[in-house]
Parts: sequence; C-alpha cells; structure tokens
Amino acid sequence: MTRTARALPVDRVLAALANPTRREVLDLLLEGPRSASDIAAQFDMARPSVSEHLRELRESGLLSETRDGRYRRYSINADPLVELRDWLGPYERFWRDRLTGLGAVLDSMPDDDT
Amino acid sequence: MTAAEDLTTIRVDQFYPHSPARVWRALTTPALLGQWLMPNDFQAVEGHRFTFTATRDVNFSGIIACEVLEIRAPERLRISWRDADGNNPLDSTVTFDLRAEGRGTRLILEHSGFDPDDPGQQLARRIMSGGWRSRVLRRLGDLLDALPEGPASSRSPER
Repeated sequence: MTRTARALPVDRVLAALANPTRREVLDLLLEGPRSASDIAAQFDMARPSVSEHLRELRESGLLSETRDGRYRRYSINADPLVELRDWLGPYERFWRDRLTGLGAVLDSMPDDDT
Repeated sequence: MTAAEDLTTIRVDQFYPHSPARVWRALTTPALLGQWLMPNDFQAVEGHRFTFTATRDVNFSGIIACEVLEIRAPERLRISWRDADGNNPLDSTVTFDLRAEGRGTRLILEHSGFDPDDPGQQLARRIMSGGWRSRVLRRLGDLLDALPEGPASSRSPER
C-alpha cells in the first residue's frame, strides 16, 4: 500500500519550530513584543543569522512585524499555534467542544434534582 | 490542558453551575448523552457493552465500541473507548470524574491510552522535547485568555 503525502497548513509551522534558536525566540516573545535588536542581543550569534530566523518565523505566520519609526517590533501570532495544538491533539479539541455542548444540555434540563 | 509531557493522555476539565446529580444524569441518560456527545445505546450498568455512532469529524470509523468499566454515582464513570474499525489502533479509556465545587460541579475528563508510537506523536515529541510543548501551550492558553476576541478565545481552556 502506498501513502500519498499531503501538504498540511501546519507543515511550515513545524519546520519553523524544528530549530532550538527559533523556539527560544518564540519563548522570549511569549513574554511580550520585542524589537529585532532586543531579540538579537539575547543570542550569541551574528545579527544576520538572527534576522534569518526571524524571517522564517515570520513566513510561517508565527510572528507579526510592526514598524515603529525605524524600529521593527515582533510579536507572536497565536493562530498557527492553535492550529498546531488541534493537529497534535484532535481529541483535545473534540472533548473541549463536547464539554461545552454538555453545558448547554445541563442548562436546558428540567429542574428536578436541585 | 494536556498534562506536562504525557502525550498519551488528554485531560480537560470544566466547571458547570449545576449539581453533581444533574451532571451525572446528563452523563448517564442515553438520550441526554446523545445530545451532547453522540447517539448511543449506553446503560448505566458495569460491564455493559455499547456503541457511540459518530456524527462529526474525528479521525475514526464513525463507530466507537465501548464498555462500562466503572460506574459510581455521582462521582465516576469510566468507559473503554475503541474504534470499531479494526484498522484503527485506538484503544483507549475515558474517565469522567465529578467533584462538587461551590454551587456547582467540576467535571474532569481524562482520555488515556493514545499510542506513544504513533508517527504524529513521535514527531511532536521530537520537536517539542524538553518541556517546550507544555510550556508553550500553557502560555498560549494565558495568551488566548487575554485576547479581547478572536476565533480561538471562545474555547480557551479552563485550567
């Protein structure tokens, strides 16, 4: 039996995450937005290398960039991580949705036990 | 949220402003269970075998074969949860624990027995080793809670 690989939206996110430096960058940005130079200062590597990592993160959709005068500020964009979480654990989403539905059923049940 | 590095178990909990007796009834009355989970032929009897018929899109055949493993009103319901399609190796257990809390009930759901050798799980472990997954997901949860709006914020987890 052959299997056909299908490109998924999470592929780029997974590729972006498959690097320790980029994960550290995300870790840093989970605390709040930072400028490019601020981020670069945290890493013991050449500025162009840091820029390259930032570019990959941006292209994966994980980072948003805003220009503030001559500074660029980066912040984390959670949407791809939400997709990733759902991809990693479809059942987690399934149960969350169902337990929300249970809440609606409980609200509509007749009051005969309270 | 999923426990730290244990990718074989899903844990979700939710608070309901209703008595444990009422939550228990919604869990163990087939018609009510059918309203929020799936159509079924459940019976509140230990050892009873039954099926859920899926109506939505999770990766399985559509029929889940179950058995009531433990039933203790109004505290705990534990059932086996297996895809009726033999090609899908999912063979798991779902436990519902109810705890009275204030004027309501906290429901703790634990779905365990996911295959740690599943390729998706292995990939996830490789990428997200060293606590990264749980750390990020935890902060992601905080982040989503703090967001004013957005598609994900409405189902941000209660933790």
